[in-house]
Amino acid sequence: MNDLQWAPIGPPQPIPPPLPPARVDFSGDRSEFRKLVTKGAALELVTFGFYRFWLVTDIRRHLWSNTSIDGDAAEYTGRAKELLVGFLFALAILVPIYLAYFLVGIEFERWKGFASTPLFISFYAFGQFAIYRARRYRLTRTVWRGVRFWMDGSGWAYSFRAMLWGLLVFLTLGLALPWREASLERYKMQHTHFGDLQGDFEGDGWTFFKRGWWLWLLTPIAIIIFPLAPFVYAEFKAREWRWWLDGIRIGGVSLSSSLPHNAFYGLYWKVIGWWTLLSTLFGLYIAGATMLVVKLSGLSPEQAFGPDHPAKSIPLLVAMVIGYFALALAVNIVMRVYLQRDLWVKVLETVEVHDIAAATDVRASGELASALGEGFADGLDVAGF
Amino acid sequence: MSDISAEAPAQSAKPTVFFDGVSSRRRQVTLTLGDALDILEEGGTPVRWAYAEIRRADSPAGILRLASTSAPPLARLEIRDIAIAAEIVARCLRLDEHLTTRRGVAKIVGWSVAAAVSIVCVVLFGVPLAADRLAPLVPKPIERRIGDASEVQVKTIFGRSTCSDPAGQAAFSKLVNRLRDAAGLDDDSMTAGVLPTSVPNAFALPGGKVFLLKGLLDKAENPDELAGILAHELGHLKHHDNMRGLIYNGGTSFLIGLLFGDVTGSSAVIFASRSVVEASYSREAETNADTFAIDIMHALGRSPKPAAELMFRITGKEGGGLTSILASHPLTEDRLARMTREDRPASGPPLLTDTEWQALKGICGSGKI
Repeated sequence: MNDLQWAPIGPPQPIPPPLPPARVDFSGDRSEFRKLVTKGAALELVTFGFYRFWLVTDIRRHLWSNTSIDGDAAEYTGRAKELLVGFLFALAILVPIYLAYFLVGIEFERWKGFASTPLFISFYAFGQFAIYRARRYRLTRTVWRGVRFWMDGSGWAYSFRAMLWGLLVFLTLGLALPWREASLERYKMQHTHFGDLQGDFEGDGWTFFKRGWWLWLLTPIAIIIFPLAPFVYAEFKAREWRWWLDGIRIGGVSLSSSLPHNAFYGLYWKVIGWWTLLSTLFGLYIAGATMLVVKLSGLSPEQAFGPDHPAKSIPLLVAMVIGYFALALAVNIVMRVYLQRDLWVKVLETVEVHDIAAATDVRASGELASALGEGFADGLDVAGF
Repeated sequence: MSDISAEAPAQSAKPTVFFDGVSSRRRQVTLTLGDALDILEEGGTPVRWAYAEIRRADSPAGILRLASTSAPPLARLEIRDIAIAAEIVARCLRLDEHLTTRRGVAKIVGWSVAAAVSIVCVVLFGVPLAADRLAPLVPKPIERRIGDASEVQVKTIFGRSTCSDPAGQAAFSKLVNRLRDAAGLDDDSMTAGVLPTSVPNAFALPGGKVFLLKGLLDKAENPDELAGILAHELGHLKHHDNMRGLIYNGGTSFLIGLLFGDVTGSSAVIFASRSVVEASYSREAETNADTFAIDIMHALGRSPKPAAELMFRITGKEGGGLTSILASHPLTEDRLARMTREDRPASGPPLLTDTEWQALKGICGSGKI
């Protein structure tokens, strides 16, 4: 059977001409996503954060199912309940570890003041493990053309590499970062599979270094001259994304990206703009609430907040908490719309897939991974891609 | 029942595509809507899906993507023709059964609120109770270990070693021992020292170590002022406040962290709610330690008032602003008022002689810090 038989029109050709690269399209509706995250953020507040498992799942389902490669949309098959169970399991494992950490820490402190600080490094190692395992969970829930992605390799081996490279980056003041990323990405991609195709990563640290070394020089300046920082970060992120996408291989399939270096300027400044606007509104709200409380209680400000009337400041405290929650909700929505959805779209529209024919008849394989890694990542507050 | 109308559009410009879940091959198929859904690929094995087993899968707008509970889990049928899609949707009665409904969301909200209420109750009632009950039960060796650990930290922050002028040390030991005997603390390992730093403070560590910082000693004008404050710190030891605080802080921060999880910016909420809850808790402990100090000073026949005056000299008037809710100690003016009420003329001998007092003042050498 000819591998190209599925091609839409035309008789089978003995020598197919080089095919144009396949496109990656995003067909999701922006207002639909906005509604999704607005509702999700509200529910997250009402449920004291427990809704995050459902919200994260819904966001991924939206992004995945609207992303089509060569005309076929992907699908995210993970479910929120898996994340919840993974989180609870992670908690059951983390609690004794926290306790042991505490006791060992005391012994270290007895020996020398602040000697337990290096113990913190063990949590960093655990975080790297969590990042790897969380990626494995997400990947095994990613389906394209009825075949899932999957991962093997060891989370601890990855964590060990990440630690060594982290040390090197620390010692070289960040200059080794491109090589760290290249090495870790190679490990992750070489253990990534789509059906029976094996992934690889061909990006090398030197290329990344050449594209971004001057940003390294600019960083100290950007920290001092604050408005420069978003530009530097946007430049860095755009270069990192492009280098990363250019290096991805799965079987014979390769990716390339033409992401311009200034692609994220707008996004970051929009987020900063929203953030400023929302903080200003929050400040005005607090000022208004304070004035209202003072006026209604009929006391001078000093009396109202003085030690004799602690009960009088409770309405204000309640007003502040409500205002803070509203602010958190709005910021959440802004971050998700701009930094998840819009960034996703911006990156995708520059991606081209070459030699997609290699993925025409891939045999399904690979087992589902548990959501424990996501649970750890959630419990330790780490995120990775 | 064979439906011919459904077959005709299947060959239209919008192809129906089938992925069998075993290979990524894109199969163009025709559909026949009979008793069950027949999926036929030219030259391939026909596949039959019962309507009751068909479920909707996520898809972009304009494509109906189906799965079947009896087929391989990733087998997908993609229908791009609206007419056929509508026809199939009408036949599959359990199409959306697995999706989260409004009731499902309400259930999540209900359970989360229940979990939150239970965590809040534990933070407000359970953890303080556990801390109160557990703190006296913590074995002395463990308490001492924790104390040793914090002592090393304290010394790292405030200076490497305690002041060691022999006459001053003797005076200090005398003062602490008199207070200790009056307090009925039988801790044989209790040690005390003066640390050479300009910070005006004093504290007691778990396991019975009392530290006086040089800054406070410099500001004190007579032994009674110092004694009241040291008695307050002994009160904390007597009440196991360190261990209570440790259990309490550990418990609440863990539970509140669990509650808020990963809502972005939650650390601020955690910080705020923790400081309110903890401050009121520690205010209570401070008030109890004050009561303890007042009792000891009365037992020694001295007035507790000078200690409050010393505190007032250091902090000034504190009231005003929102901080009063968040303050971990009772306001100094309130403490001064309370200790003034408890003021009694001295009936016992002075705690230190003038010579001893001068020796204590000079414990760290000639004024260098």
